[in-house]
Amino acid sequence: MNDTSPYAVELRGITKRYGDFTAVKDINLAVPKGSIYGFLGPNGAGKTTTIRMILDIVKPTEGSLTVLGAPTAMDVRERIGYLPEEKGLYKKMKAWGVIAYFAKLKGMKGKAAKARAYELLERYGLGDFADKKVETLSKGMGQKVQVLASIAHNPEFVILDEPFSGLDPSNQQVMEDVIKDMNEAGATIVFSTHVMSHAERICDRILLIASAEKVFDGTIDEAKSLIPKIVHVEGVEDAIALGALPGVGDVRNSDEGLGAYDVTMLEDANPQDLMRNCFQNGIELTAFSYHEPTLHDVFLHLVGDDAKVATLR
Amino acid sequence: MSNSLHIAAREYSENARTKGFWINLLMFPVILFLSIKVPQLLEDKAKPARHFVLIDQSGSFEGVIDQAMERSYQGSVMKKLGEYIQKYTKEEFRVSLSAKALEDMPQVDMKVDPANPQGAMFDMVLNENPEVLDDLSQEGGLDMVVQLIAGRLVEERPDFEPPKRFLVHAPIPDGALEGVDLTSASREDIVAGIKPYLLNEKSIEGSDAPLFALVVIPPDAFQQVRRPGEMSVDALADAKAGVQFWSTNLTDMDLANTIEGAINREVQRLEFESKDLDPDAVAAVQRTEMQFAAFDPNKKVGEEIVSMADTIRKWAPVGFVYLLWVAIFTVVNMLLNNTVEEKSNRIIEVLLSSATPWEIMSGKLIGIAGVGLTMMVGWFVSLLGVLHYMAGPEVEWAGVLIQVIQTGGLLPLFGLYFFSGYMIYAGIFLAIGSLCNTVKEAQNFMGTATIILMVPLFTMVFIAQDPHGSLATFLTWVPLYTPFVMMNRAAADPPMFDLVGSGILMFCTAIFMLWLSSRIFRMGVLRTGQPPKFIELIRSLKASQKNM
Repeated sequence: MNDTSPYAVELRGITKRYGDFTAVKDINLAVPKGSIYGFLGPNGAGKTTTIRMILDIVKPTEGSLTVLGAPTAMDVRERIGYLPEEKGLYKKMKAWGVIAYFAKLKGMKGKAAKARAYELLERYGLGDFADKKVETLSKGMGQKVQVLASIAHNPEFVILDEPFSGLDPSNQQVMEDVIKDMNEAGATIVFSTHVMSHAERICDRILLIASAEKVFDGTIDEAKSLIPKIVHVEGVEDAIALGALPGVGDVRNSDEGLGAYDVTMLEDANPQDLMRNCFQNGIELTAFSYHEPTLHDVFLHLVGDDAKVATLR
Repeated sequence: MSNSLHIAAREYSENARTKGFWINLLMFPVILFLSIKVPQLLEDKAKPARHFVLIDQSGSFEGVIDQAMERSYQGSVMKKLGEYIQKYTKEEFRVSLSAKALEDMPQVDMKVDPANPQGAMFDMVLNENPEVLDDLSQEGGLDMVVQLIAGRLVEERPDFEPPKRFLVHAPIPDGALEGVDLTSASREDIVAGIKPYLLNEKSIEGSDAPLFALVVIPPDAFQQVRRPGEMSVDALADAKAGVQFWSTNLTDMDLANTIEGAINREVQRLEFESKDLDPDAVAAVQRTEMQFAAFDPNKKVGEEIVSMADTIRKWAPVGFVYLLWVAIFTVVNMLLNNTVEEKSNRIIEVLLSSATPWEIMSGKLIGIAGVGLTMMVGWFVSLLGVLHYMAGPEVEWAGVLIQVIQTGGLLPLFGLYFFSGYMIYAGIFLAIGSLCNTVKEAQNFMGTATIILMVPLFTMVFIAQDPHGSLATFLTWVPLYTPFVMMNRAAADPPMFDLVGSGILMFCTAIFMLWLSSRIFRMGVLRTGQPPKFIELIRSLKASQKNM
């Protein structure tokens, strides 16, 4: 198979319907090789279904896709690692055995798989538990074992469905480190989450899905630029003059009291310029505040009430 | 394909490495061994002596009853002596009933129990010539017999110990019937006096056990004899008027039968005399018989006579059917549990990202088949082992059974029917497993399935008796039952049409089941929530047809 495409995954208009219910509708996406891609969206938005279609666990009703240059993931499964959302392992197997088993299913040879299992367990602090049965491990350790099982064969493309759910903060940090480690080693990572802070910290690009449809696809900065920049000012006497300044879109009374306004900046304007322009034009301010929108703000802005509806479903 | 093998290897080691599996494997020979040995031991050691009190108001039967008791005891002495001789006879004098001998020995009397032909021969001799036992019971009679044969026995042997008496005629307990005139007392009085001993409220001397039975023979016993043609007006009253056998244990009828037999023989003897017939002549006539043997037209010309081995061969498939049934359902249950476990643990998703549903399914099938194969090899090796160990003078049939298993062509058929039955049921159970999220849900399905699956067990004895009857033929053509029923009929040379036709149908069914279950599997494994209703299942199968 000649994989010369710059993309690890390409989705072309894929749709998945279960009877009358549409789980995923007409999604187009290209995940560049070597990137960390976050799939964001409320619960039930279609993230897991999209991931399952990428992995060839379910077939799309419509559309087509390419994974590592192949028409289905099954053709290149040795090059893919997958951690599903709900974690489970064979309870009666030993920790190393589980990792080696999944590595073998991904094409590793028996001895190499065993050596690799011990190596990974050692590296991530589970060396003492390698020969313990999975049922004797704590939940966190079990999850770690499962993560290791999904990457033991050194995949070049890794899909993690909600990798942070159920992890305590220190293990969430370990998870982030694992993702970064793999990415530095050259792997393309796709993971889904509804915790924006993780996505914001580690993603190069994000896909935002709500109610089965793509809402946004691009870099974090692009996402943030979707939200109008709003500057909060206080002590302003002449609101009309404020509104006439360059880069100002809209001026509205704020709830903070007399002279307090929320200024919506034009798309390409820099909020810092507003302060300078105020001074230059003799507009006095007693307070000026601006903070960068977070991914969380973007999420709420784009998904809005959909998020709540979807969560309730 | 290599993924199938990885999955198979994991399934195999997960199931074959469990303690339960090995316990299951080892229990089989242990149970087999015990089921042969324990009854023997019980017979020898544990069976308590049966004490009975006899009150013969007629004064005519006590003698014959005691004689019958003595003969019964001497019979058991003879039997034990026979075993003793068999066991300790020098090699050069040994004429044991080898498997070959049994093969050649015609099964003349159809009533002979093939499991214990030697015992049956003893019984035959003793029933027909009970007088021989009277000599044995003479003072020193037994010692003389042992002396006579001593030269043929090996030097190092324990002394022969006669068995203990099981049926003991006990005297009337002291004081039980004090002041009662036995010749004229009413039966109510006699029973009332003895009842506390029967109910273990009082115990008889020389025994911890309660009095086993009370036998009361009325003074007018001869008026209670019924002859052919005599009508009974009140059957219940008549029955009460005859000999009464009182006991709290009415399941062990050895004693009752012995006594009844003795009384009836005496009644018949007197009857002959009253008709001026010589009882000895009559007895001789009664033992006169025509030679009668069964022949099987299926066998080679010249060897058609039905032998012991044939009878064993006829019944051996019943055992095989049972083993087949246990083996298939043990392993398909493993399959079901593993599938449900993978589904409830969500491991199935990782598997599906690493292997196709077909690879997963075939891996599971191969792995569990391996478990089943291990189990069966274990069973057969231990079965043959136990039989070899047992096969000796005491358990003749074990040797014949070994021979039947090894030469009867049953083993290859067993293997064939195991695999075909396994494929059919594995398909069903995999499909059930893939639709259920918990073992509990699966059990709901299993209830119905189990009833359907019990049919071969219910019918296996009837089919062995009538292997070409309509029940056997009908069930042969129900693919779910073909493996069991054809195994059942295997020794009876079923018609080629049934054998081949049902075989083809069975294989087609197996392939269809696997195909269907692979579709259900693919659809079911990712399903969450309640298992689908049947209509939903059909609908989604149709829908998935379009999608896949």
